[in-house]
Amino acid sequence: MNNFKKTYLSLTLFVAFMFSFSYMLVPLYDIFCEITGLNGKTNQTKIINIDENPTERYVKVKFTSTIANSAPFIFEPVDREMTVQIGKIYNTLYTLTNNSNSIKHATASPSVAPSEDAEYFKKIECFCFSQQEINGLETKELPLQFIIDDDLPLDTKTLVLSYTMFNTTDQIGSN
Amino acid sequence: MSANIDKLHDEHSHTPSGIMRWITTTNHKDIGSMYLWFSLIMFFIGGLMALVIRAELFQPGLQLVVPGFFNQMTTMHALVMIFGAVMPAFVGLANWQLPIMIGAPDMALPRLNNWSFWILPFAFTMMLSTLFMESGGPAAGWTLYPPLSLQGGDSMPFVILSIHLLGLSSILGAINVIATILNMRAPGMTLMKMPIFVWTWLITAFLLIASMPVLAGAITMLLTDRFFGTSFFTASGGGDPVLFQHIFWFFGHPEVYILILPAFGIVSTIIPAFSRKKLFGYDSMVYATASIALLSFIVWAHHMFTVGMPLAGELFFMFTTMLIAVPTGVKVFNWVATMWKGSMTFETPMLFALAFIVLFTVGGFSGLMLAMVPADFQYHDTYFVVAHFHYVLVPGAVFAIIAAVYYWLPKWTGKMYNESLGKLHFWLTTIFVNLTFFPMHFVGLAGMPRRIPDYAVQFADFNAIASVGAFGFGLSQLLFVYILFNALKQKVTAEDKCWEGAEGLEWTLSSPPPYHSFDKAPKID
Repeated sequence: MNNFKKTYLSLTLFVAFMFSFSYMLVPLYDIFCEITGLNGKTNQTKIINIDENPTERYVKVKFTSTIANSAPFIFEPVDREMTVQIGKIYNTLYTLTNNSNSIKHATASPSVAPSEDAEYFKKIECFCFSQQEINGLETKELPLQFIIDDDLPLDTKTLVLSYTMFNTTDQIGSN
Repeated sequence: MSANIDKLHDEHSHTPSGIMRWITTTNHKDIGSMYLWFSLIMFFIGGLMALVIRAELFQPGLQLVVPGFFNQMTTMHALVMIFGAVMPAFVGLANWQLPIMIGAPDMALPRLNNWSFWILPFAFTMMLSTLFMESGGPAAGWTLYPPLSLQGGDSMPFVILSIHLLGLSSILGAINVIATILNMRAPGMTLMKMPIFVWTWLITAFLLIASMPVLAGAITMLLTDRFFGTSFFTASGGGDPVLFQHIFWFFGHPEVYILILPAFGIVSTIIPAFSRKKLFGYDSMVYATASIALLSFIVWAHHMFTVGMPLAGELFFMFTTMLIAVPTGVKVFNWVATMWKGSMTFETPMLFALAFIVLFTVGGFSGLMLAMVPADFQYHDTYFVVAHFHYVLVPGAVFAIIAAVYYWLPKWTGKMYNESLGKLHFWLTTIFVNLTFFPMHFVGLAGMPRRIPDYAVQFADFNAIASVGAFGFGLSQLLFVYILFNALKQKVTAEDKCWEGAEGLEWTLSSPPPYHSFDKAPKID
């Protein structure tokens, strides 16, 4: 009978472990994405080395925007394209307009292509770090400060930074 | 009075009669029969949904159903066939066969066994009831990918709860199977002396308890994302929908082997019986099954090559996927070697087992084609994928189940089916199954996407052929039901060992076996 109990107990524990394993996959996935730059997730926490003497290397950076689920916004980059020197800090802007009459909350989610180079695209300041609150019919300027890391592979000539703006008003309201 | 009860007890007529017998039963044979009948009913419900799909696709344009309902049909067809038809059929076969194959009196956990079964009708009533809701049933595909599945109607929480229940039923069933096999074998039956069907089920049960809890986790996250404000998969809250695909297929790929490993066991039992030879390479069969099971946990991302992955990831998943062809090839060659120079006869179970080998291999080859990353970018989400997984599931898993029913029906019921009708059923089924699914390869390679109610006109001819095949296949299965009832009406009792070449403990029992068998464990040399 002891054998039976041991079997049931170990199998039940294994089932419980596998259930928690599915939840463990969530942080594991984030770590994995951060290491590999998978899905264009940009690094936001690492210390940034600002080069005193930036190299004479230039790369083209393009900016794009998407509005998720036809939210009542106009969301566009001010500069669609910049040629930037590697290792130098640059500033640019996006503009967000609320087309509705009521206060909305919005969150932007960034992505860099090619995703392998996402780790070299370093944002010092980004509107994507925080929730935006925007009044009805208001237009806001959303600042962005970034630097391209020295270690960017030589064969990369163009980087694309893309933002998707989500309407999170309902989620804020329900919390 | 008490003497009378003792006497009755010996004859085991203390079982409640009528419907209560079936509701309260803890007997593995009763529960096995219920699983099999339930699976047959679900096979026809899922089949009806398939016919709605094929009727709509008979010609281009929208004829019979609206696209929303079409999507509900593709979603529900898959859920019903996977969780309602194939999995319960295998559990039913396990319930009937495992105890009488290993010389055990019953399953290790008879009451849990009863509960495992009775969860199913309630879970499926709930799942199917969503079709009558105002917003309709689930329509985002059986894989429930967010964000689409999060945007569905009111059916979503009902479907998720019913999948939770189905998973619970499978996990309990699997624990029962493992406990039975590990602890209740007749003395002398070492692991490497177990019948191969028992081995494949033992490995399947481990796959079940390792993968079903992961599915439970994934759909719980969907539920909390939709109703409790979490953001596992909601991009606006920092979540990632691709994460769901990873978690889902971490369950999903072992799941497809859950649907095929017991079929391997059945075919490995039937081929030797009708070749009148021992199974060739028993040990390698066991190791091949185990390696397929282990590999199934490291290949999941081949279902999602097109989501964007680093090259190293795509190569890893491509090579590991192709590696699975090695143990699977070992199995196919072992079956062929078993038949080599055997004195073969071609009764219905053997015919289905032979068709299994040929047609499952066709499905395996198209699987290899899909495993190649550059090719998969072309094939992904086309009808080629539909052709592939229907070849491994219909002439694969379903043919093995039908073969098993023909093979063991005389043992279970003591009644022999009509052999000529069985052969007719085989030929109709095999012809129509190919008529249905083979043209799907062509339209898929030509670029017809899956899960669409309407298509470009150049695909019309092959789709019309597939629809004719599907209706032929569906109607042929009514013949199967007739054969079953016709057999049950027979007055002649089948012999205890009705197949000349059959081996195993179950054939030492009478046909039908007594309600309680192997009260005393048999001796194995």
